[in-house]
Formats: sequence, structure tokens, C-alpha cells
Amino acid sequence: MRTLLLGMGNPILSDDAVGVRLATDLKARLIGTPGLEFVPECSVGGLSLLDVVSGYDRIIVLDSIRTAAGRPGDWYAFTAKRLRETMHLSNIHDTNFATALELGRRLGHRIATEDDIFICAIEVEDNVTFSDTMTSGLEAAYPTVREEILREVMALLES
Amino acid sequence: MTKRISIDPITRLEGHGKIEIFLNDDGSVRDTYFQIPELRGFERFVVGRPIEELPRIVTRICGVCPASHHMASAKAVDGCFGGECPPLAHKLRDMYYHAHYIHSHIAHFYALAAPDFVVGPDADPAIRNILGVVAKVGLEIGTQVIRARAMAQEIQSIIGGRSTHLVWCLPGGVAKGLKKEELEKVKPMVAQLYDFTQFSLKLFKDVVLGNGQYVDLILNGPYTLDIGSMGLVDENNAVNFYDGKVRVIDAEGKEICKYAPDDYFRHVAEHVESWTYLKFPYLRARGWKGFVEGNGSSIYMATPLSRLNVADRMATPRAEEAFQEMFSTLGGKPCKALMAAHWARLVEMVQNAEMLQRYCDDPEITGESFRVVPQRITGEGVGIVEAMRGTLTHHYTCDAKGICKSANLIVGTTNNNAAIHMVTKKAAQHFIKPGKEPTEGILNMIEMAFRSFDPCFSCATHSLPGQMPLEVRIWKNGDLYRRFERH
Repeated sequence: MRTLLLGMGNPILSDDAVGVRLATDLKARLIGTPGLEFVPECSVGGLSLLDVVSGYDRIIVLDSIRTAAGRPGDWYAFTAKRLRETMHLSNIHDTNFATALELGRRLGHRIATEDDIFICAIEVEDNVTFSDTMTSGLEAAYPTVREEILREVMALLES
Repeated sequence: MTKRISIDPITRLEGHGKIEIFLNDDGSVRDTYFQIPELRGFERFVVGRPIEELPRIVTRICGVCPASHHMASAKAVDGCFGGECPPLAHKLRDMYYHAHYIHSHIAHFYALAAPDFVVGPDADPAIRNILGVVAKVGLEIGTQVIRARAMAQEIQSIIGGRSTHLVWCLPGGVAKGLKKEELEKVKPMVAQLYDFTQFSLKLFKDVVLGNGQYVDLILNGPYTLDIGSMGLVDENNAVNFYDGKVRVIDAEGKEICKYAPDDYFRHVAEHVESWTYLKFPYLRARGWKGFVEGNGSSIYMATPLSRLNVADRMATPRAEEAFQEMFSTLGGKPCKALMAAHWARLVEMVQNAEMLQRYCDDPEITGESFRVVPQRITGEGVGIVEAMRGTLTHHYTCDAKGICKSANLIVGTTNNNAAIHMVTKKAAQHFIKPGKEPTEGILNMIEMAFRSFDPCFSCATHSLPGQMPLEVRIWKNGDLYRRFERH
């Protein structure tokens, strides 16, 4: 089974970097795992994602999220099935993640099924300010988040 | 008491924009505000860093047009180091940039514009997307779209080493040249891309121009503005995306000014309003006259359509044919129908493909003289390119050690801020009428006004769920009585 570990985000946009930083740290710990490949920094969206995710049986996405009641460092794990409900929204420039995946499938690309796309989304505070450091709240929570998500990913790889 | 309608993205992918619509008691539109409620701070972020690092940093401003920032930044940095850059380096940068344009224009046309025109502007949002487009035009065409886009990406990777987040341009040139075996890989892809541009033009004619309702919406709807146009042109006043002078014409097509990048500050000034962080550029010589149309207006737009409006011609033969056909169909130049920007993108793609062909046939393109190492620091540089969504200016200064002292960026969407604000109001006034409830379809037709500009508020955050949900709230006498959510 071919698995991709994908870090999403912008490394100079405050907390938006968290997915990239996690993927980089997890790569250092998991490199050499059979069948596991890494794209630690992916700052593209829409149709460009098809170029990145095609050809894998399973994808693990590390990304940021902002919800109304979330606290920096909270994190959520879910599969791409949860993204389906937002599939038909128009992105201002391009397609969204779920639409890009579905388009790829319909056009015959080898795209992992929704059940095999695992997403770890980390709650962030600021993803609009240009900065090469994360906010203090997320920075403080980061070591714990990293270890928890590492355990989650390792369990996933063993399943 | 006025009512308020708010079109507000809850999360953001390419930046957070918000449209506020205020209604009078009778339900007519009193005013609208197109707001950018965030302060970006990128120009401060780069101060104090080595100036040669900026072309690598600025690609992180935005995942949508990273190559545009890379090119403009590289040219500004060239200026800081005395301006030396060999002709081959400019050719290679230009070649790369044409592939980037095709890749970007394909995404815009098929993923963003086509849902409105192929599926329909008031269609159910559940099908008004690229999946709906593919369902309507067929899987084979969908496959062609994705294949063409991937080829344009591959050409960028071959020329510049990467298709996104380039680290290729250096002060005085580029880090790698194009090998002969690499060129042989590029050639067949360029031939296929040229065919794809012809296919796209035909599709536009069949689907959009073949529908009288759409043509009427483009030419006679509220999507028109009587303001100036801006774009880069070469020495023959032909469209150029990478180099040349900035030409500005008024609403009647008369040249107002034509300036070299170093001279931009004499021609463009920026107006500030208290209700948005995004500035409003205007023509300095005319002074800020407010959000007004007409031949004396100091407001201009910088879009694919305005690039074609300011040019006397295209730089390549088949693109020139498409250019002539477009303006003769639309009633001549300058065209004020903003939706024609979608057509203009397809005309530009023809020039992009023809220029790629031209470079493939250039015996110098695989040469070795693609960089000179700068020997001096002169401390100031301005780089201007045409980003896909408008004229992009980077202006830097540095100290004697090459450390960045200041940066000023005027990006494509900023140029268009006033125009977006104005046309959004026009569309709202046209579609929202007394006694008529604003439906999702009507709100989409208002959004189409600003979507024609392909606006970008620069970042590249990928905060999940990774798209731009819209919330619409209607206020009556200070109370929320209607709410739309798009899920």
C-alpha cells in the first residue's frame, strides 16, 4: 500500500505553518517506514492538488482549521467523507479539496477513496498575518499536539 | 431604517473579502461596500532580510500566482544590484511565465468562469462547479482540461525546476538553463497546448457566444464600467506579460500615459478609505475624484481585458486574429464589458502558446549565458510584470550590504479595488429590486461582478475545509430576519 503524508499550509503565515511543521517533524520520525512517502510542504490548492495526491492508496493530510469555539492546539481527526458536504461550494479561484478529488476520480485518476483519506486538522488562532513564528498559544500546545498526532498516524499505519 | 445584506466568507483560502449591501426601506440598494478586513503586513515582514532572498520569500505570498511575484521580485532585485541580466535569462523567465499563464488561465476559465456560463449563472450551486461543467460538456473534455493544465505545470518544472514556489531566479539571471534534451521534452507539450487554446476558444464561441442570453448579459447587463485601462506593452504596443512599459488609456481609448517601471510612483497614487485595509490606486496626475465613472475618472482597471484594451495588437499572429475577432464582436476598443475578461484570457492563452513555440524554435534558448554575477549594489529596483489578474509592481530599496530597507507592492487585485467596489454596487442595484427577495441565484450574479476580476487577497492559507463558504444575512430594522448559508 502506497501512503502519502501531506503537510498543508504556508510556512510564513503564522499558525498556517502548523501542518507543514508537523509533517516535517513526523517525516524525521517516520522516514524509512515501508510504503510511506512525504510531501511535507504543500501550499497549493484546487486542481493543483490533483498533481500531488494522484497515485496513492491512502493519504494522511495535516492541516490547520479555524472553528468558532476551538482553542489553539485542539485537533480533530476525520476522513474525507466529512468534506463531501462542502464539495459544491465555489472557491474564489479554483475548486476546493473535495471537488478536486472527486473530479480526479471521475476523470480516471488513481485517487484514494474517501475512507482512505485521513485528515488531522489543528485548531489555529491566526492564519492571516505574515510571520515565520506561530502564535504563543499554539506554540505552547505544539509539543503535545505533535506527539498525539504522531501516535495517531503510527496507529493508522499499523492498521 | 436600512436593511443590510452581508456576503461574508467565513473562512478563507485566497484571502477574506466581504461584501456589505445596504438596502433602503423599499428594498432598493442604497450602497455597497467591498471590504478587505485584514491587514497583511507583508511589506514589513521582508524589511531587514537580505534582498536576494526576496524572490524566494514572495512566492509564499500566494499559492495562486507565485510565479508572478517571483518574476516581479527578481526584476526588482536585479535593479538593486545594478540591473545587469543577460538576454537569455530574460528569455527563459519569459518562457517559463507563458507556461504559468496557460496553467493559471485554464484553472480560472474552466473551474471559475465556466460554471457560470456552461452550467448557468442562476443554476443550483450543487451543480454550478467544475463537476457540473464536466457533466455537461463530457468526461473527454474534462480529461483534456486536466491534461493541458498538467502539461503547463510540467513545462514550468522542466524550465525552472519547480512549478510552484520557485527558487530559480537569482540576481543577474536564473539558476539553471534549459538543456537540449529538456527542450525536446517541452516541444510536443507546447504543440498540444497550442491545440488546446484553439479548442478553448471554439468552446467559448459555441457555449457562450452561441447563447443570446449570455451575450446580452455580457454586453448589456450591469457588468460594465466606464473607466481607464492599464497593462504592459512592448515597443510595438503589443501585449507583453513579462516586460515593457505600462500603458494607461482612458475610457475612450486615448493614451493617458506610458511609463517605465522605475517611473511608476509618478503615475500611480493610492487612496485610503477607513472601512477597508486595501488601498485604492488611482492616476496621480488626475487626483482622487472618488468612485466615479467617465472619461475624466482617475480610476482604472488592470485585468486581462484591460491588457488587451491598452494594446494596439497581440505579439503573435494567431493571437492577433483572435484579438481582432474579439473586439469586432464586442463593438470595438476599448471594451467596457467586464465579463469579456473571460474571453480575453483565452486570447492571451493563444499568445502564450505561440510564444512558447517561438522559444522552442529559438536556437539560443539552450545556451549557457543565463546568469551574470552582480558586482555592485545600487540599492533600488522596481519590477513590473502582468500577473494573471493585473499589473504587479514590486519596489525595493536596500542598504550598502544588500539588506532590505523598504518594500512596496501594488498587486493586481489592489489595482482593481475601486473598480470591484463600483461594479459590485452596480450589479446589486441591478438585481436587487423593491419587493423582490434576493435569492441565491441573484447573489451569485452579484458575485459574478467581482469574480470577473479573479480577485486575490494574497496568502495561500489552507485552513480547512479549504474553500470559501458564503454567509448571506439580511437585516430589517436592525434585526436579522433572513439568513443564507452555502453548504
